[in-house]
Order: sequence, then C-alpha cells, then structure tokens
Amino acid sequence: MHILLIEPDAVQANIYRDALQKAGCTVAHAVSAQAAVHRADERLPDVVVLELQLPGHNGVEFLYEFRSYPEWLRVPVILHTFVPPSELAPAAVLCTELGVCKVLYKPATALADLCVAVQTAPIVLEGRE
Amino acid sequence: MRQVGDGLQLNGQERLFLGLTEQLTRPLLAISRLSELANSGGEAPSAEYWQVVQVMADASLQLAESYALSLRVHGQATSLALEPIAISSLLYDTAELLAPLARQYGVELELDTGPRMQPVMVDRAVLLSAFESLGQVFVAAQAEAAERLPVRLSAHRSRYGIVAGLYSGSAHLGAESLRRAQAVQGRARQPFPQLVGGPAAGVFVANSLLETLAARLHVARYHRLTGLATTLRPSCQLQLV
Repeated sequence: MHILLIEPDAVQANIYRDALQKAGCTVAHAVSAQAAVHRADERLPDVVVLELQLPGHNGVEFLYEFRSYPEWLRVPVILHTFVPPSELAPAAVLCTELGVCKVLYKPATALADLCVAVQTAPIVLEGRE
Repeated sequence: MRQVGDGLQLNGQERLFLGLTEQLTRPLLAISRLSELANSGGEAPSAEYWQVVQVMADASLQLAESYALSLRVHGQATSLALEPIAISSLLYDTAELLAPLARQYGVELELDTGPRMQPVMVDRAVLLSAFESLGQVFVAAQAEAAERLPVRLSAHRSRYGIVAGLYSGSAHLGAESLRRAQAVQGRARQPFPQLVGGPAAGVFVANSLLETLAARLHVARYHRLTGLATTLRPSCQLQLV
C-alpha cells in the first residue's frame, strides 16, 4: 500500500513514516499542499494521510484541489490533524463533500491506531460507496 | 473550520497562553510517538532517538521558560537587569542555542552582524529569550518550506537604530502579515500561515518579551530577505563614554 503523508513537521513526519513502513506500507512525504499534488502526480497513492494545518494553502484547500482531479476522486483521505474534531464539519459532510473517510486527532491517536486506520481506509471508502 | 476562540472571551495573555499550549503539544507529541515507536521495535532506543527526545524537550522548556519570563517581567515580579550588550554577541549566542534544533530539522543557520555597532542597554536574558523563541519558529518554518534555505540572524544599522532579527528567503511576509497574525493570535489555529503552519507561538512570546524592553517585532527586509526583527536604540550614555 502506498501512502501519501502530508505533514509539515519533519520530526513528526519521520516518526509516522517509520511507523507506516514498519506496517508494510511505502510512504511518500510532502510538507505542503503544492508539494503533495506533485507527489500524488508522481505516483498515485492508495491512501492520503493529511494534516490540515499546512504552511501557505491549508489542508482543506488541498482537498478541494485534490478532488478536482478525476483520477484522484476515489483515493481515500484520512485527516490526521491537530485540529480537534469538534472544530470540524460533521464527519458525514466531510465524507460526502471531500471523501474523508476518517478523522484522527493527533494528540489522541497512537501510531498503532494510525496504521489500522490506513489499512482499513480503502475498505471504509468502498463500504460508503 | 470554526475559529479556536469562537465563543471565548480571552484577554491578550490568555490568548498567548492558548497559543503556547498548542505549540507545546507538538514537541510533546513527537516525544510520545517516538517512545511508542521505540517500544514497539523490541530493541533498546538508539542514540539518535535520545537526541531527538532531548532536542524536542529542550525546545519545549525554552519556550515555556520564555513565556514565564515575559509574565514575570510584565507582572513586575522580576525587574529588568539592564546592561550594555553587543547585539552581535547576543545573536551569536542565539545561533548556538538554536543549533541543535536547526540540525534536527536540517536547517542551516547563518550569522550576519556586519561591522562593529554600538552596544544597546537591554536585559540580556530577556532579549536572548526573545530571539531564541523567534528562532524556533523560523527553523520550523524553514523546515516546512519547499526550498531549504538558510535562516539568517542579522543585525544592521538603520536611521532608527540597530535592527536585529531573523530572516529567511522563503518567508513571504508583508507589512500586514504580522499585524493580522497578532489580531487573530489565540483565536486562529494558524495565525501566521505565510510563515509557518502551526500556532507560531514563539513569535508572540518573543513580541511579549520585547515589549518589556519598550520594543516590538516588525516585518523587516534586508539584502532581499524578509523576516521579523526589532529596532533597538544604541545607548547615548555609552556613546559618550
């Protein structure tokens, strides 16, 4: 499984990348929305793990651009962010509007939970379709 | 996204504290997840692991100490110890303190202090804390940038005094950037998106510290670089001596 990890903090990105690689995934890392679009173009990801607080264009803007490309419409997206779920739109809206299949609040999400979410993301998305 | 401060009535210090707690979440999270990763491996943590933990912990401690210092000075629990300071030596010390964090994030630091300048009368600990807090933000910002450019610690003369601060080739800051960031700080999760993706609490802690020295941060340009700096007036008394 190929993961596109969009995480601006280099230290955290290394940790998540190591954890996902230990779980058997290959990981492409991007620090910003623009870099993420380039990385997705280089190799189609199976799952996108996205931090909303990005420098320049934020994660929501990235999602709208990402979903504007037909070839990326069905790629599951997991929000793995410092923004608490209480400050986001309801999960149903995020799913129908932006194809977000799971929202993970970083301080409360262990690495094991992230790996499980990544591995079950395509199943969750297919189930909703 | 709704704003953080929606429905909350917070004063300036409370907003600064809110931003600080969000900022401190990051290195603490890194330490926690790094420990989880190390424990899941079944092997003893490597020296590199301990180095990352130390850097993250030191950065958190420094920011918390800077905030506490600003509170103590603002609250007059601590008085300022004014002394003549050579800005170039202070920036050198700042660079030394930021070096481990910069190495961890793969960011290069440059020091540019030009010819000898008159000393300024400031509290060394306060000014050093301010620059160190600001430096943390610039290092993080540079690590997030598409192009890895150095962070420059610079001091130069202007007609208003000695302008000392941090600059970066990737910081796209205009005159309004800082003003807008200060207006939404503590209420927006990304008060300074032109600079960095997170809370950028170090900028506001630095500004709070500089206010105790009757100075403030402002957006500055120097040698085609943009950054945040403060202007300090050389001591007239020392000029006479």
